Amino acid sequence: MSGLKRMMLGAIAAGLMAGVAPAKADFWSDAGKELTGTTIRGVSESTPPSNYVKNVLAPAFTKATGINVEFEATSWDQMYDKAIKDMEANTGIYDFVYIEQDAVYGYLARDFLVDITKFIADNPKLKAPDYDPANFTTFANYFKGKDGDLFGVPMEAFIKVYLYRKDLFEDPAVKEAFKAKYNRDLAPAKNHAEYVEIADFFTQWGKDKGIELWGSTVQANTGHPASWYEYVESVAPTFGVYNWGIDASNNYAATVEHGGKMNSPEAKKALEFWVGLLKDAPPESTASTWDEVAATFGAGRAAQGLVYGENAAWIATDESKSKVVGKVGVALPPVEPGVMEAAEAGTGYIGYYDGGAFGIPHSSKNKAAAALFLQYIAQPSVQADWAVAGSRITLQSTYDDPKVQAQDAKTDGYYTLMRDQGKLFAGAPPYPFHNQVREAVAPIFYQAITGELTPSDALDQMATTAEAELTKLGYRK
Amino acid sequence: MRSQSVGWLFLAPTILILFVFGVWPFIYVMVISFFDWNSFAADPTMRFSGVQNYRALVFDKGFLMALWNTLKFGVFAVTSQVILGYLLAQLFMKNFPLKGLFRTVHTLPLMIAPVAVGATWRLMTVPGLGPIPYYLDKWFGYEFLISRYVGQAFMTTVVMDIWHWTPLVTLTLLAALSSMPKEPFEQAQIDGANRVQTFWYVTLPMLKPAILSAVFIRLMDAMRTVDEVWMLTGGGPGSATRYIGLYIWRVVFPKTDYGYGSAMSLITLYLTIVMCWLLYAGLVARRDLKRPE
Repeated sequence: MSGLKRMMLGAIAAGLMAGVAPAKADFWSDAGKELTGTTIRGVSESTPPSNYVKNVLAPAFTKATGINVEFEATSWDQMYDKAIKDMEANTGIYDFVYIEQDAVYGYLARDFLVDITKFIADNPKLKAPDYDPANFTTFANYFKGKDGDLFGVPMEAFIKVYLYRKDLFEDPAVKEAFKAKYNRDLAPAKNHAEYVEIADFFTQWGKDKGIELWGSTVQANTGHPASWYEYVESVAPTFGVYNWGIDASNNYAATVEHGGKMNSPEAKKALEFWVGLLKDAPPESTASTWDEVAATFGAGRAAQGLVYGENAAWIATDESKSKVVGKVGVALPPVEPGVMEAAEAGTGYIGYYDGGAFGIPHSSKNKAAAALFLQYIAQPSVQADWAVAGSRITLQSTYDDPKVQAQDAKTDGYYTLMRDQGKLFAGAPPYPFHNQVREAVAPIFYQAITGELTPSDALDQMATTAEAELTKLGYRK
Repeated sequence: MRSQSVGWLFLAPTILILFVFGVWPFIYVMVISFFDWNSFAADPTMRFSGVQNYRALVFDKGFLMALWNTLKFGVFAVTSQVILGYLLAQLFMKNFPLKGLFRTVHTLPLMIAPVAVGATWRLMTVPGLGPIPYYLDKWFGYEFLISRYVGQAFMTTVVMDIWHWTPLVTLTLLAALSSMPKEPFEQAQIDGANRVQTFWYVTLPMLKPAILSAVFIRLMDAMRTVDEVWMLTGGGPGSATRYIGLYIWRVVFPKTDYGYGSAMSLITLYLTIVMCWLLYAGLVARRDLKRPE
């Protein structure tokens, strides 16, 4: 037998063997066979990562399995409203729901969610070959129950990062003017005093040059919880006030009088700093949630700001949406002395590690199909494009993908920062009463933004109100 | 006897629907209002609390503020709508070029869903994008920022409501004006009444039922305003536009305080009924009592 013939026979034999062996690619069509024609419904917040699922992953899943996906991407408020009502009433409208990291504790306390680890273990036929929970980043720990089982499949994880206009920070004329005014080199702020100086400088620079440029974004909506979240999750921690200033280990104390820190001197300094930034913020700031802050930065209206990382990719790379493509720098948020050390030691944190997962409600009527969908979106093969589009990473292996590394370079190392420094950030505290306490204190907080209350008075009232609400809810004895 | 049975048979679907969607939820809300029930509390079960929810309302600054804001909103909006609606109705009684087109355009806001109205007004007022703050700043140097200035936010919600609902009042009053007999006006003219006297002693008394209907409908609507304001301001800045409907929604849904929210709903319903009754008693019943035998 000639060498050529031997090679041909070998190739044929290999082809036949490949046909006989159960290929990974066939798992989805095989698993979907019994469920073809089923329609699963999900609800999520309309964010870049969610919209990627809606527009790319859901149709791909349908093509692979024959299972239809109706994906509802709506506003943050509506998403919660719809999901919670559905799960409370046990109506079964949704087969998977978005669980924001801060909501998972409430959902677990109410036993809304299916134990996904157990469900897949009980239904081995549904276990996708590429689904590997061990590959999740540590962010998945937020969605685990007491026994370590997963109740949500992470779909997005990102840090709220300090973005700045690299082009402005590196402009010789700007650098010279800054140095002349403050007698130091212009660089991303390491502490709050520097941040305020930079904000003041660029606001004045914008005025002098007649351009629409302000010193900082501020997520200070006066009628939406986004402002409260920016303060408690991204600003107060940089002053050393963690977990909203509520001490869960001390009978959920919020006031300094009872051992809490919500109205501590550090908290008051933090709120004064943050409210003070409004003078250097674009006028839309008091109407801005997380989306508008990203839009403001993407429109080139602010020199720096704290922006949710899910927006970092499009701000830095998408010319159809952003005016600052190629001009974005990424850094860690400014902190007070001692806070970085505390974060590195694991006793504090410097900002918000946000994200969410998809969970299956007990009320779902199509749990098997939903479990397949959640595994489909957790495959390593679909992660890179998703990470590029939504600047989110949930699997460790995604960081090494060439596409992600290329995007990392375009975003000034955002992904590297998240991988290397993500440990300095933390998710929301494990409170099952997020909405309840927030709704009780937020109206007072808004009054601090409008100037009806001083930051000090507002925090005093907020701490007292928080304790009263926690007492009413039965957590504080 | 048989005709009565047939009558009840025909009424049965209506009664059933009314019971399922009206009476039963009302009773349910009433029962819940006597319970402490928050599904995210340490104890998420329903616990009987007597009249505690009603007692707490009296001391709830947020509730009282929302009630006061709603009353102010209702008075400003409804009064403006009646005055503007009457003037427009009088205008439409006259002939002028393109009257039909103007009347159609004027009626268009009525066809728009409140949530879309709120979204539209939000787009018009959002700083950096909306034409209203832009031109107010450009032409008058006036800083218009409803997300920061309490008074501006309140007045914008009032103006939005006027824009949306004045056509309803106009159409109601136009129908009433169109159906008025000519004789009383001719008689007033013969008696030498001037325009003000004719309006005060002839038009207004005959228009009163229509005005009252419009006021009742609009006042009740104003008391339950949620969607428009929620889209425009979210209840802010601070609590400036957190009207009672919005406040109840926040207590019942995001805060999941079902018992307290139910008590709030019932008290608001009661206050609305009392307010309408007082208005009726003050404007209609008192006059009937004075009428000579």
